[in-house]
Amino acid sequence: MAKFKLELARGARAVMLSRPATHGLVGVRDVDEQIIDEALVKFDAALRLFHLHAEGMGLVIIATTMTAATLVQSVGARRAIILLLTVGGAAYPFGYLLWSALIPYHGIQTGKAVAEWVVWIPFGGATIVAVWWLVLLVGARLVRRA
Amino acid sequence: MRRPPLVVIFVGLVLIALGETAGALMSQLRPQLAGYARARVAANAQAHGLAGSAEYDGEVTARAVYTAEAGLSFFHTHAQGLGPLVIFAGTVAASTVRWRLARGAVAALLGLGALFPLGYLAYSLAVLEWGRDAGIELAERYVLTPLGSAAIVGLVVLAVLMVAGRGRDRDA
Repeated sequence: MAKFKLELARGARAVMLSRPATHGLVGVRDVDEQIIDEALVKFDAALRLFHLHAEGMGLVIIATTMTAATLVQSVGARRAIILLLTVGGAAYPFGYLLWSALIPYHGIQTGKAVAEWVVWIPFGGATIVAVWWLVLLVGARLVRRA
Repeated sequence: MRRPPLVVIFVGLVLIALGETAGALMSQLRPQLAGYARARVAANAQAHGLAGSAEYDGEVTARAVYTAEAGLSFFHTHAQGLGPLVIFAGTVAASTVRWRLARGAVAALLGLGALFPLGYLAYSLAVLEWGRDAGIELAERYVLTPLGSAAIVGLVVLAVLMVAGRGRDRDA
């Protein structure tokens, strides 16, 4: 992103200009530039969010699976939690990459809706379910010890 | 490697779970959250210095709503970051600090510091209830600074204890 910022923006811009109907471009420079700028800001933000979430979720996966492997006694529950955390956590950040890639071709909202249904909801949902499941098991263990 | 006290792990996990859930809710309920924030600003007109002029009030409201949303966003990112940090640092403390009392003190400081992201929830609510500047100041002074300091002190003490432990190993 740091090295190819300009090239990425130019490429996205060229794709957007080749699909005026998708982005609602009307051929008036003042209006079109505003629409393109907004889409480019979102395109860049989505890439940044991919970077941020990939780094964050990597650590979340290691911390939570390490905890599950150490503290969850039931083999079935342990395997399910680790699977959900790993697959959910690893795939989730790619939703931002997908959104970014879709913005020039399909616009901000359509791209977001696709990323939401294809990646964020299933994989983010898997992570949320697994983490709360783990919280409940660790909480129950804490209560038993108390 | 030894595991940190169960309560530290629990706090770290709850934080991660809350951070992830907050991210999902923020994404799905953005219009509702913004609507609630605008309603709270209108209900606390005096605290926000609303003057009855649509243009001025609109600007003040937008700024307060933006700050409240930023607080929620900070809560999401800090909870996701501090949760794993507390679990990792707790594991390092449990594995490398020999003195039981010191180990307990580090775990307590880390456990307390782990609550730091909740300060951003307080920040969001305080901004809406007491006005932007007063809310930020209250949240920073009474929640964010003490809890953040606990996390910083815990990490610094852990670093010092690790260095001291290595020194003792060499001497022995």
